[in-house]
Amino acid sequence: MSEPFRRVADRIIVDIPLTLREWLANAARKTAGDALDVSTSTHLRLLGPIDPTVDHDDPLTQLQRQMTVEGSLGRFITTHLDEHLSEDDAEEWIRAFQLILAAFSAEHAIVTAEDRDNLSQEDHYDMITLQSGISLLIEALDS
Amino acid sequence: MTEFGTDLLDRTDTTLDVPWEVILWDDPVSLISLVVRVIKQVFNYDTAKAERLTMQVHHEGRSVVWSGDKETASAYCVALHSYALGATIQRSQ
Repeated sequence: MSEPFRRVADRIIVDIPLTLREWLANAARKTAGDALDVSTSTHLRLLGPIDPTVDHDDPLTQLQRQMTVEGSLGRFITTHLDEHLSEDDAEEWIRAFQLILAAFSAEHAIVTAEDRDNLSQEDHYDMITLQSGISLLIEALDS
Repeated sequence: MTEFGTDLLDRTDTTLDVPWEVILWDDPVSLISLVVRVIKQVFNYDTAKAERLTMQVHHEGRSVVWSGDKETASAYCVALHSYALGATIQRSQ
């Protein structure tokens, strides 16, 4: 069985099934949409103020953070069918997976290890899938 | 000016200029390996320091990962957020 991500020179070869790529791309689209919707827990988790004593970041910081979130998720959506990635794109995939994982955590109100451990089997599987993707990408990128 | 006086002035200026901290908060879904990697990358810390801070976050729920001026603290905080890590800034206690 081949590794899902492996380094060859300065490229990361991606060997994951189409269904998983589509599942991840859909999750990225949903995360991008929810991040901009101020009524969602995802918005607060990904774009809540960095100084909790104020209601909003300053406009420049707000814009920068929004662009970062959209940039990483957008880059993943654009490249999700690619068979090999540049190092920069692989790094964006790690960011995108982390953003999806954080949105998942916010949606499921995971605050403690106990919350995490009480996830349904299906949700637990989704979380492990994202964590494994991050771990394997780091391993390939840092090898 | 004496060396003592210079030192005292420098220390006072530093205190005035360095009132902000970057706090990294624990979250139960981010992998320890990811957190260590991001801390190393963002702050250019060595592995030992990044691992110590990560384990402090893991065991105590939070850690002051950097302190200094507000502008830089904000920039570091934004960099941590680009990996969806829970980070905030606050005035030094």
